[in-house]
Order: sequence, then structure tokens, then C-alpha cells
Amino acid sequence: MAAIRTANLRKTYGDVTALADLSLSIEAGELFGALGPNGAGKTTTIQILTGQLTPDSGTAEVLGHDPVAEPVETRRHIGILPEQESPPSFLTPREYFDFVGSVRDIPESVVDERIAEWTERLSFAEKLDTISTDLSRGQQQKVMITQAFLHEPEVVFIDEPLANLDPIVQERVKDFLRAYRDDGNTLFISTHHIEVAEEVCSRVGIVSGGELIAERRPSDLGPDESLLDTFLDNVASPTVNVEGLAGR
Amino acid sequence: MNGSLNRRLFVEMLREEWRMHANLFGGVRFAAFPLFVLALGGGAVWLLTTTAVATIDSLVVGVHALVFAFGLQTGTTGFLGRDAMRDLLGDMTLIIFTARTLPVSQRRLLAVFLLKDAIYYSVLFLLPMALAFAPAVTAGLLAPTQVAVLWATSTATFLLGVTVTFSGIALSTRGVPGRIVALAIAVAIGVAFALGVDLVALTPYGVYTGASVVETTAVVAAIPLLGVLGVAIYDADYTAPARTETDAYAGWRDRLPFADDALTAKTLLDVSRSSGGLFKVAFSGGILLAVGVFLLELAGEIANVDPSPGVTLGAILGLSAFTTYNWLTQFDDMESYLLYPLSVADVLRAKRRAFALVGLPTGLAFYGLALAFEFSTVGDAVAGAVVHVGLQTYLFGVTVYLAGFSPNEFLFDTVLFATFTLAVAAPVVPIIVAGFVVSAGTPALLAAIAAAGVVLAAAGGLLVRRATPKWERLSRT
Repeated sequence: MAAIRTANLRKTYGDVTALADLSLSIEAGELFGALGPNGAGKTTTIQILTGQLTPDSGTAEVLGHDPVAEPVETRRHIGILPEQESPPSFLTPREYFDFVGSVRDIPESVVDERIAEWTERLSFAEKLDTISTDLSRGQQQKVMITQAFLHEPEVVFIDEPLANLDPIVQERVKDFLRAYRDDGNTLFISTHHIEVAEEVCSRVGIVSGGELIAERRPSDLGPDESLLDTFLDNVASPTVNVEGLAGR
Repeated sequence: MNGSLNRRLFVEMLREEWRMHANLFGGVRFAAFPLFVLALGGGAVWLLTTTAVATIDSLVVGVHALVFAFGLQTGTTGFLGRDAMRDLLGDMTLIIFTARTLPVSQRRLLAVFLLKDAIYYSVLFLLPMALAFAPAVTAGLLAPTQVAVLWATSTATFLLGVTVTFSGIALSTRGVPGRIVALAIAVAIGVAFALGVDLVALTPYGVYTGASVVETTAVVAAIPLLGVLGVAIYDADYTAPARTETDAYAGWRDRLPFADDALTAKTLLDVSRSSGGLFKVAFSGGILLAVGVFLLELAGEIANVDPSPGVTLGAILGLSAFTTYNWLTQFDDMESYLLYPLSVADVLRAKRRAFALVGLPTGLAFYGLALAFEFSTVGDAVAGAVVHVGLQTYLFGVTVYLAGFSPNEFLFDTVLFATFTLAVAAPVVPIIVAGFVVSAGTPALLAAIAAAGVVLAAAGGLLVRRATPKWERLSRT
């Protein structure tokens, strides 16, 4: 059964076409990676699927809900980790998680348990009572990752999951994402880091010009193949000699 | 090299400031703003002087006070740092924050930024404000040269505000010793005022009113001196220590009279933790109280009438709704709530509740305080209270409907601001004029004014209801 489905999604901002005609289907239990260059339409896709943005045309469905018609109900069942959002400036992480627990109807005792789990996993227990605006970018990203999973949703949308994290924490997050998928949950990750997509995703869709132009399973790649080759074959501008650039 | 670099930085900063405003409000809408200031100011000067509600002198005082406050705020915005700017204006990187990536010192950037602000705001806003006094020149109440002097002194006043803020921020980057110096200066100014030193004579307004050569020289020298000192003192490497807080969120949420209202608790906690805390809401009310009492006294003297203090002060204090709503929406935006199962209606309900908990009681408290000094009759006091609550509710509705969750940003959008001004002036001006000219003891008219307050409250409620679907749609496009 498809946990996430879009058909012919189109979205424009003035003269700029963010999504031209995006159709995709992601099964429950998949860790899908949307890989593409800057401006490919990845973030717009996430915003539409999470009810933050209305498409010009086309349809979308997440866990049987229409995010355009029922944005609040859709968001009740999913987690969202946006690329640029920070935790509320004047709340501490502990207070922020209390807030998220309240708006998501999570019992306080459960919130406390999950805070303990996540602060240990991402190593930020000592920052729980620091005002969020005074946290480093990396610490803020840890807080935002925690809020996205605090209610243990069936579907999670993540825009650049490893941004600003140190290598140790990056590995822990990758391990967690794989384990979360193995538990039957669905993850939609947007990234332009090919190695991240290759390492954690069960299926990768290459998005360019607002369309899904190719799909590959990293596990299906042969010994002489790489996701980078697939990406460059489909996306690289014909006017740029990539090999020539690499030789400089 | 230094000269050409400064010129280049200046031009780019000027261009950046223009693009930032044009991007936020639309190029034509922002370009029309000086004309709007000219038209609105000119109309106000003509109306107030023709009806003898205010003198030219009082208007000039008002302009200088307004411009000083504007300068203080502009200085804060420019020097708060990137995180604070992001809270206020969204994600953007200004040239002033590029010292870490370009081979340009932070001090040079700050100095050019100050100069850019002076010229940009002087030409775009202060010049039309000064030219707005043309009707007074035509009426023979003001010499033409005084308009030029007014432009110069209002520009100097604006710069004084910017440099005062900047110097304060620069001192705060020097840790405890810097803060002690700032406090000592503030105490010295307070003591001088208490001892009867005419501090106003040492401001650009003093120059306007004809200060001595020594005083004028002191004022003219003080502004660049403050700027240079600020640039010299500013520690570009200073990082404030991370602040920690004990868990207060649950306490706020549990104390609210609404069951499990996470959003209202967050809104109130945001305001209380930001600079100035909840006191800044009271401060805005205090300013309006002072203005109201001043106008009441002035109207009594000039027009020789027996005004209704309750109605007049109730209406003037009702204007505090705008600043209160501004504070309640300053530290978040609608987009940040779209991560959770929350709708625009949920967020708006939280803002409305926070407003009811903070704005209305604060306004009524100042109203009660005002009546302690200016009480007339019970009927006038009751009518004033009804008008006050009605006007606050109406102003809340108008602001929410027109500006959504960004009331601060829409001020420079000519069309929006003109609509807002008209929507506020339409009920406020007649009520204040009625308060000035109607004897406090006229029961029929007081009843009519109170009824107008009830109608305004209903209109405010209707606007809030209509604002919900409007911003629901706009937040997702």
C-alpha cells in the first residue's frame, strides 16, 4: 500500500516553475530519497505533501489523507524536519518538547521518556535548559530532529537530515533512520548529498526541473555503477564538461 | 583603496536597503510611501492647525519625539545580529554581517551602515515629513526656512536615536564593565534631569528652537562623536554567554484560564523572555497615557473647552492595541507552526487570547490610572471604558485582517498602511473630537459614544472571523 502518492503535481511561483509534473508513489516501509540539484523542486514537494503549500494542480495523498484538503489532519500523523527552521527562539529545548507534546497530544510521561532517549542518542542533554536562540546550528538541528520523531509518526518528511551535524552524530542519525524504516515506518528524505542518499535510502528518485526523471535502488547498483553516475547522466548540464572541471 | 571600498560598500548597502523594502512590500508600493507620508502629514498639519487642536510648536515637538523613537528602533534592528534579524524579517543575510566572509572589518561595515541609514531615511522619510509642514508655511504660521531647519534637526534627531542605541549595544559587547558604564551614563542623565538641567536644549530639537552657539556646537558634535565611539568600542568578536532558564512553559500553560492551551502559553512566554519582557507592553500604554493627558490639557487651554476625559483618554489608550498585537506576533511567524497539526485558526485564537490576557487589562489599568487624575463624571468614565474596550477590539480585528501575523512589516507598504490609517482614523478621529468638544455631562451623547464602542467591538470580532479564511488561504500559497 502506498503511504505517499502524488499525481501530476504542478506548482509555480510567478514565472518560476518549481514543480512541472511530479508523480510518485512510496510504499509503507520505504526510505525514499529525493535527490536533485538546488532548485529541483524537492522542498516544494515536501511542503505540498505536508500541507504547508497548495499546488496549482495535481493530487497528493499521505496515509490516506489529502494534505491539500486536510492539512491539519495530515500533519497529525506525520513528522516534519524542514531544512531551515529553528526551534522557537525564547524556549529552551525542554520547553519546546513540552510544547510539541501538547500540540500533538502526547502524555507528559511519554514526552519525558522520549526526551531522555533522544538527548542520549544525539548527545545534547546538557543543552536542554539553554534558550534555543543561544544554541549552535548543530544543536538546533538536533532539537529539530527530536521534535520530528517525538510522536513516533508512521511517515516522516526530512529536508537535509544531516545539516550542521558532526560526523559522529551523523552516523547515529543514519543508523536511526535505517532502524526506523525497518520498524515499518516510511521516510521521505530530500537531499542533494549523493552519499547520504546512497547510504540510507532504499529507493532514490532523481528530481530535476520539477519532475521525477529517474529512479534507482542503491541495492541494485552493480559494482561498476554508482548513484553519482546515474545522477550526472540524468541531471548534469550538457554545457558543462564535468570531467574537465574535475581535472582542474 | 579605502575610499573606493567605502564608496562601494555605501552604494551596495543603499541598494540592499532599497531592495529589502521593495521585496517586502513591492517596489511601487514602497516608492509611493514618501508621497503617502507627505500627503498624510500635510493633511494632519492642515487639519490640526486649522481646527486649533494643536499648535505648530506641539507638532514639531511630536515630530522630533517620533523621529527619535524611530531612530532608536532602527539602530536596534541594524545591530541586533543575524538571529534577531531572522526573527524579525525572515531568513536574510545583510552586507553588515559579511565581516566573517569578506576582507572588510566589522567596524568599517558599521560606520558605512550608519552613514547609509542617515541618508536613506533622511531623504525617503524625514524630507517628506518636513515638507508636510507646507500648509503651515502657506498659512503664515511657519517661515519657509524653518522647514529646511526642521528637516536638518529631525535628521539629526534620527541619527541621535540610532547612535544612542548603537553606543549602548557597543558598550554591552564589553561585558560587565561596559554595562556598568552604560548604566552610569543613564543614571547621570536621570540625575541631571532631576536637578533641572534643560536636557532638551542639548538635543537637535533645542537647535530648532534656537539654542546658543555653544549648545548647537555640542549637539552637532555629539552625534558623530557617539557614532565614532560606538564603532571604536564595539567588540566584533563578542559572543554573549548562552542563557539557561528553568522550565517555565508548563507553569504558564497550567496557569492560563484556558484548558491545555499550548499556543497561548508559548506566545506569552516568548514576549516575557524577549528584551523588556511584559514591561514593554506597559511601556507603550504609558506613552499613550502621557500623550493623552498632554493633548487633553492642550485642548482645554487652546480651544477653551471642557473635554470629556473618559472618552478622550479611552480612545487614545485604545490605540495601544496595535503595539500590543505587534509584540504578541514579533517572535514567531505562521510558517513555523505549519510543522504541527495546527491551523491558522488555532494560531489566531492563541493571539486573541493572549491579547485578551495582556492587552485589554493593561489598557484598562492605564485608563483607570488616567481617571485618577482626570475624572469628570461616572457617565463619562463608563462611556470611556466602553469606547476603550471597543476600540482595542476593533483595532485588533483591523490589524489581524490587514496584516495577519506580520503587523510590523506592513508599515512601509503604502497601500496597506493607507488602508490601515483610514480604517483607524474613521472611528478614532470623530470619537476624540467628540471627546474634546462635548461637555462631559451630556448623557445622550455619552450614550451614543458608548454605543459606538459596542459597534466597534462587534466590527472587530467580525474582522477577526473574516481574517481566518483569508490568512488560511494566503499562508499556503
